[in-house]
Amino acid sequence: MAEEKSILAVFSDIDPAADAIEQLRLLGVHDDCMNVISGIPVTEAMLGRPSQWTNVPRLALGGAAAGFLVGLFLAFITPNMYTISVGGQPFTPVPPAVIVLFEMTMLGMLISTFVGVFFDSLFPNYRPMHYVPEISDGKIAILIECLPPDEQKVRDVLKQLGAESVEEAEAQHL
Amino acid sequence: MADRKHHTSHEEHLREQRLMLDPMPRGKMNEMVMEAMHTTSWKFWLVFGLLAAIVAYALFYKWGVMILEGLGVAGVNRPSYWGIFLVNTVFWIGISHAGTFISAILRVFKAEFRRPFTRAAELMTTFGLVQAGFSIFMHMGRVWLSYWLMPIPNQRQLWPNFHSPLSWDLLAITTYLLSSTMYLFLPLIPDLAMARDRTPDGTWQKVFYRTLALGFRGTEGEWTHLRNALNIFAFAIIPVMFSVHTIVSWDFAMATRPGWSSTIFGPYFVIGALHSGMGAVVMVLAVVRGTMKNMKYFIRPEHFEAIGKLMLIISMAWAYFFFNDYIVQWYGGDKWTKELLHWHEAGPMGWMWFAMLIFNVAIPWATLWNKKWRSTPWLIFIVGMLINVGMWFERYIIVPISLTINRMPFTWRLYQPGIEVWLGIGTLAFFILLYMTASKLIPLIPVWEVQEGQMAHSLKKYGRETVVTVSELE
Amino acid sequence: MTVDLNKLHAVGAIAEAAEGKWGMVIDMDLCTGCQACVAACAMENNIPYVEEEDAGYGRSMHWIRTERFWEGEYPEVKISGYQPMLCQQCGKAPCEPVCPAFATVHSQAEQLNLQVYNRCVGTRYCANNCPYQVRSFNWRDYQDSRVRPEITILANQFNPDVTVRRRGVMEKCTFCIQRIHKAQDKAKSEGREVEDGEFTTACAQACPANAITFGRIDHPESLVSQLARSPRAEHHLEELGTLPRVTYLKEG
Repeated sequence: MAEEKSILAVFSDIDPAADAIEQLRLLGVHDDCMNVISGIPVTEAMLGRPSQWTNVPRLALGGAAAGFLVGLFLAFITPNMYTISVGGQPFTPVPPAVIVLFEMTMLGMLISTFVGVFFDSLFPNYRPMHYVPEISDGKIAILIECLPPDEQKVRDVLKQLGAESVEEAEAQHL
Repeated sequence: MADRKHHTSHEEHLREQRLMLDPMPRGKMNEMVMEAMHTTSWKFWLVFGLLAAIVAYALFYKWGVMILEGLGVAGVNRPSYWGIFLVNTVFWIGISHAGTFISAILRVFKAEFRRPFTRAAELMTTFGLVQAGFSIFMHMGRVWLSYWLMPIPNQRQLWPNFHSPLSWDLLAITTYLLSSTMYLFLPLIPDLAMARDRTPDGTWQKVFYRTLALGFRGTEGEWTHLRNALNIFAFAIIPVMFSVHTIVSWDFAMATRPGWSSTIFGPYFVIGALHSGMGAVVMVLAVVRGTMKNMKYFIRPEHFEAIGKLMLIISMAWAYFFFNDYIVQWYGGDKWTKELLHWHEAGPMGWMWFAMLIFNVAIPWATLWNKKWRSTPWLIFIVGMLINVGMWFERYIIVPISLTINRMPFTWRLYQPGIEVWLGIGTLAFFILLYMTASKLIPLIPVWEVQEGQMAHSLKKYGRETVVTVSELE
Repeated sequence: MTVDLNKLHAVGAIAEAAEGKWGMVIDMDLCTGCQACVAACAMENNIPYVEEEDAGYGRSMHWIRTERFWEGEYPEVKISGYQPMLCQQCGKAPCEPVCPAFATVHSQAEQLNLQVYNRCVGTRYCANNCPYQVRSFNWRDYQDSRVRPEITILANQFNPDVTVRRRGVMEKCTFCIQRIHKAQDKAKSEGREVEDGEFTTACAQACPANAITFGRIDHPESLVSQLARSPRAEHHLEELGTLPRVTYLKEG
């Protein structure tokens, strides 16, 4: 199997990048074969790209549920493992349990949100990747990963639309 | 012709005033931020060394002495079992509230002026909480056993007592420390990637940034996940922040003591935390603007102006809660509470009570109403500092001074601080030291957020008036 | 018409509290302020002596103290009474729930307020929350002969039934629980109940004026119960709902 070639086209503005994406689609490049890399969050709507799937909110919800369960364990199970009477209060009073439940739910939710970003973005990832450092200086790059047969046409279109550079992408250590 | 000229100058004036209307190429801004990080004068190292020496002596050496000899070297006694340790704990947790207020509440409400200094404020949260942790652990009689308070399985088969406000505190502060650190780190990732891209190979900095940037490139997916996560954090961390200082207030409010047992302590403490926190934010911003290179572009009088307005509102809210607490206690007429209120105002530390009101209310009200004054960095720096002194006094009045008066007059005795003064200075020095270290290691300005804001802002003409418009990009 | 609160499901919140088991009556009209109880308690319970400077600063560690009250200005002062103050062994003790480490707990068997020294981490929240201010904290290593060489001689008179405490630990009156246990063990080995007056606490034993009486308050015939029913009886800070087990007799 031949190694797949990728092209990285660098634009300095959103509009030409959005035009380029439209043209590439007409040339038969599937949306799944493109990725936009940018130094600021450019929304899918601005670029006319299908919206991205993210698991982060679901993971957050799951983490909240898990945190709530930990809270239940701390507030209602642990006092029964070794019953100690204090101040004439019940072993498992509800009002203080509300506090424990709240804190544990929030902690579970926020940790899983954080971990969710790592999980969804495959962080940490120190393998070589297609990238140019100019991106963090505000450039917008389109990475085309599966090229149609007439590669030259793609390159020409990208150049025409104002790409600053159209290069064969080389995976490099960031 | 003259009319057009007037308009241009008005436009120019607006651009000069507002960072969001004064865009620069991203590469230029990146360069400025990196340069600010890398430009270090000998004065920095002088202060750094001095602070490091203070931390080593006042925090670690003195704490070691106290651990070995016992709390007798501090000033705590019967009846003031809690002294400056708890004052500092409450104080530092208060400072930490500013970061969340700015980076979460202002983010949720899309207050655009927040953009350049969310990180500067959020750093205060994390580092402030570290000092709060130090202060509370110092105060323990047997700190080497502090892990007994953690809810972890252990061979004693004993779990913490969740009836105790201190256990709630532990959970709340842990939650807050972890979540604010994560909330600091997430929006930092793109800036760490920027720093990675601008650092030459073969340096330790490259390794540092490459490791921390986690391989971030800025793909659509990465941004989407990050944006979603930041949104969740911004909303969820607000109730966590409120819960933290409310629970801190419950350490006092749950106690059967005159003056402490008050239902308004929760919101009173939260607003007090924001009061000192905002004061600390302007202090930090004034120092950052004054001492770091290129920061005059990012942090402008408009930012002090905007925070000054918030400070004025918070000062009014603080006065409102203070008066609520005071008049209910006063009207109740309980003899011990009356004794306590009299002690606050006319006792040997009465000057502190009046100073608190002057610093927290009179001075902010007298100065911050004026737009020009609150836009002046050095002036608002002084106001912020006085507010912090006033808020420290407030906690001092609530903790050791209020502890002096209890229902057993035979035990009344004044509290005289001992080694805890050193330890308090140590935490302050450590806070500044951590902040200085961070300012040399991580980009202090969230450049991508600034650029995003600059993209969203433009000028529009309505009739003959040029006004600022903001588009919602998110 | 009377309303039975228990029928209104007010049980728990308003229902009468249990009486407790052990109790004490202190007759303030008999107390001469001689401090014999303070000395006896210190010896019985291995309470360290605290030097002058610390003691003057509010760090004395006595589990019982004699509070003096006076009227008038010096030199025209008139002593208006002595009030021995010790842990009231509250039925609903404010000190207990606030300890994060479960170091101060309620004994179900003896209905006493316990302090578990080796569980204490020294947050001192209990002492803040004690309305009677009767808890004492080990501010320094008062009992360590390495720190205070002079303690070596005093160590010879330590009570072997009671532990010594090190720095950073809270302590307080236990109602001489070691004596309670000793009496119970003895009675058990002889196959009988502990009799009233068979033993007493160190403070009660030492009081030359017999102002302190200790015993079972859940036995109506015991001396302490009879005295507690006196019209002169009162509880300190009763309004806080702490259910103190120490009754004071005053101003007959």
